[in-house]
Amino acid sequence: MILSSLLGIPLLGLITVLLLPRTAVRAIRMVATGATAMTCAATVVLVTAFDPHTAAIQFQERLSWIPPLNIFYHLGVDGLSLSMVALTGLLAFLACLASWSIAERQKEYFVLYLLLEIGMLGTFMALDLFLFYIFWEVVLVPMYFLIGIWGGGRREYSAFKFFIYTLAGSLAMLLGILALYFRAHTFDLLELAKIGHTFPVGFQQVLFLAFFLGFAIKVPIFPFHTWLPDAHVDAPTPISVLLAGVLLKMGAYGFFRIGYPLFPAGAQWFAWMLALLGMINIVYGAFVAMAQTDFKRLVAYSSVSHMGFVLLGLSSFTPEGMNGALLQMFNHGTITGGMFLLVGVLYDRTHTRQLDAFGGLGAQAPRYAGILTVFSLASLGLPGLSGFVSEFLALVGTFGVWRWQTIVSVLGIVVSAAYMLMVLQRVLLGPLNQRWKQLPDMTGRELVTLLPLLVIIVIVGVYPLSVLALQEQGIFGLLAHVARH
Amino acid sequence: MSQALLESLCVWMPELVLSLGAMLVMLLGAVSRTGMTASLASWLVLAGSAATLWMVQALPAGTWFFGLIALDPFSLVFRWVALGVVALVVLMTHGSLEVERTWTGEYLGVLLLLGAGLMLMAQAAHLLMAYLAIELVSLSGYVLVALARDARSSEAGLKYLLFGALSSGIMLFGMSLMFGMTGELSLGAIRHALGSLAPSHQAAAGVAVVLMLVGLAFKISMVPFHMWTPDVYEGAPIPVTALLSVGPKAAGLALLVRITQALAPVWEAVAPILVVLTIVTMTLGNVVALVQTNVKRLLAYSTIGQVGYLLIGFVVNTGLSLEALLVYVVAYLFMNLGAFACVVAVCRDTGSESLEAFRGLAQRAPSMALWCTLCLLSLAGIPPLLGFLGKFLLFGSAIEANRTIFAVAGVINSAIALYYYVNIIRQMYLEAPASPVPLRPSRPLQLAVSVCGLATIGLGLFPAPLLTAIGQTTGTLLF
Repeated sequence: MILSSLLGIPLLGLITVLLLPRTAVRAIRMVATGATAMTCAATVVLVTAFDPHTAAIQFQERLSWIPPLNIFYHLGVDGLSLSMVALTGLLAFLACLASWSIAERQKEYFVLYLLLEIGMLGTFMALDLFLFYIFWEVVLVPMYFLIGIWGGGRREYSAFKFFIYTLAGSLAMLLGILALYFRAHTFDLLELAKIGHTFPVGFQQVLFLAFFLGFAIKVPIFPFHTWLPDAHVDAPTPISVLLAGVLLKMGAYGFFRIGYPLFPAGAQWFAWMLALLGMINIVYGAFVAMAQTDFKRLVAYSSVSHMGFVLLGLSSFTPEGMNGALLQMFNHGTITGGMFLLVGVLYDRTHTRQLDAFGGLGAQAPRYAGILTVFSLASLGLPGLSGFVSEFLALVGTFGVWRWQTIVSVLGIVVSAAYMLMVLQRVLLGPLNQRWKQLPDMTGRELVTLLPLLVIIVIVGVYPLSVLALQEQGIFGLLAHVARH
Repeated sequence: MSQALLESLCVWMPELVLSLGAMLVMLLGAVSRTGMTASLASWLVLAGSAATLWMVQALPAGTWFFGLIALDPFSLVFRWVALGVVALVVLMTHGSLEVERTWTGEYLGVLLLLGAGLMLMAQAAHLLMAYLAIELVSLSGYVLVALARDARSSEAGLKYLLFGALSSGIMLFGMSLMFGMTGELSLGAIRHALGSLAPSHQAAAGVAVVLMLVGLAFKISMVPFHMWTPDVYEGAPIPVTALLSVGPKAAGLALLVRITQALAPVWEAVAPILVVLTIVTMTLGNVVALVQTNVKRLLAYSTIGQVGYLLIGFVVNTGLSLEALLVYVVAYLFMNLGAFACVVAVCRDTGSESLEAFRGLAQRAPSMALWCTLCLLSLAGIPPLLGFLGKFLLFGSAIEANRTIFAVAGVINSAIALYYYVNIIRQMYLEAPASPVPLRPSRPLQLAVSVCGLATIGLGLFPAPLLTAIGQTTGTLLF
């Protein structure tokens, strides 16, 4: 029941917010924050109750939902999804705290926000393909409104672009789901994983491609990434956090949960392409990030670069590479989520994101400077912080398989070090821009949103086994499954 | 003889109540000018018809009136849909400015008659009956379209009449050819005769079939017989537009399906044309809808696009595809009428039919905007709404029958269609309202919108009863 409660708590919060009058802003905020906090606490309970010594699905729940079509309300977590569920619970809570600064139409905002959380959690827990698709799509609608109403800049354009792009991808996936169903007559992902390898290789390849399109747009994989900078930049800060922290992971998670186990032959056939695309993502994303003058846009492109390591690790079919990929998803969520929060902190005070408008803030806002430094160093892959571990694992795992792609990818790390240090220099060092003489340092609430992430980054960096132990049985199980067929 | 007649009348009771009730409502309208009595009477008639239809469900399937109509589960679904359409349109009418001016018993009476026609179309098992039913629907339609009596409405009515008369004539010609070749008018007998048709007559039979399809293609706005749709939809009073966009489409498809079963022997020759036309229909509807600025025209083209999806179910013509067709018809009934009900409210308030009239509706009428958004998202095929399930089944049935092209075309069209549906939602939620005054739709209208919105999400989340009910209907077509 714990998994259903993960969906039930935000749903209860959503209904409560709906019933509150729109002027009761404080109450609305409290209810939404309370709901996300309880969900977060429930994910902590889930993690502690999780048995890391098995690759089997745990906490399964299975109820018949649409009997004529053989569709089940089927939830469960294993090593592949546990860290994602925990990440979602945590980021949704922290971003909800950051949402207190939303100044208009709060009731609608928090209703959509909670709906978004349900969709994200559901996607990571669903074990029925139909249910998975519904949660996957449910995420789109609130996201469209959250960017379009509360965003900045060209928010309508960005929201729309996001909606159209991801829907186009999902529809390709829908075709794949239909083709799959009418061959296998089940939506159960566990069943499908058992029979997936019996499909003809050509069929597996076509289906892998159909699902790949859906996932690739979400990740996003070059050349389907163009929605990302617009959406990330124009979304309000908390939503950028969720976009980068969770939504991108949904695409990558799709490979772990559907692409690889269901179509092992298709995945192996496509692996070289994944390695190549991963390499392009890493290098291209890093170079484009370096060219940015807008802080948020820079972080957005750095996401493209970092997600490349996930693809690279995925393409390797080695335990190190796959573990690195999954860990990178978790680390990217915490690091980039934090980076977007930090950009938001600065933007709330200065109303600009132009990097050359800052300077010398290190002395003016020391707490901010300290935290930004740690996050930037984690992002550029400093050993001792979490980003390094996963990128290193992904590279090590892939090196023996796709040699030159890995070598080129290392170049991306160098570039990312360059732009991240440049950020630190332009924002924190140099003479203080006189406009920001009165700039206040971070408030308590802002610190609360960032410190948990900071702690996680350091812990995972120093003791990576804390997360790896939870996920590795899942990875081993997946690899064994793929290798068998 | 009289025994058979009486039994047939029993089966036909819902239509009988509707037709007699229609006369009564018209009379009442003439007597009292306030319209209140007529309106009350029309509700009683609808309730009576629904009650008798409920009882008719229990009767065994079979053909009645000496083979003129068929009672089978398939037609029952469409009879319920027809009643639902009429009921929702009557609700909508209470909030419409255009119809209120001419708010008389005549309007409601004709509406009920049209409903009877729709129900007959779904049951016709005889070409004469089919023709009569189509004409009943068409003639009532002409009257309703021209009802507002202004220049625009009259022009629309005349256009509808001219196009309709032409296509009826063509269809009648096709029927006469068919009769000439087979000597039969009942669908069952035609099927039998076609099976033993001399090979030299096959081509002529094909021509007859195509000509017959033309008349129905006109009714359901299938390309290339869709030209009247936007103009007529724009000119007609909005509730009437809503009615035309759902009622005749559903009933026309029901009749198409039934006639096609009878024409099975020559069906193979005609199917390839329909494959192309289906894809053209949905693509043309959706692409042209992209550039519309008038909501009624937009929804007219969206209707053409939606009919394209529905045609998939008809052309694929398997048990599953017909089931999918039925599910989508039910979904379409709610989501399209919900959207139209919202248009009625907005037009009444702003006096404008442009997309801009929807600006800031979320702040002026939050609950209505929410229901309307659900209906639009359902039209666009976003899960977990009912429209998604219908599309899912339609595309799935196409893939199952190895007609993947339909699924691909449908999916591409869904992506295109998202643009204009979301554009309306954008106006409602993302734009600031032109005036901050809350918009309060009349109660019946509010009821219509919420019923449609609730059904769209409720049946979308829990479709099992609907699917079970519809699952029992297929494979049992009679004629």
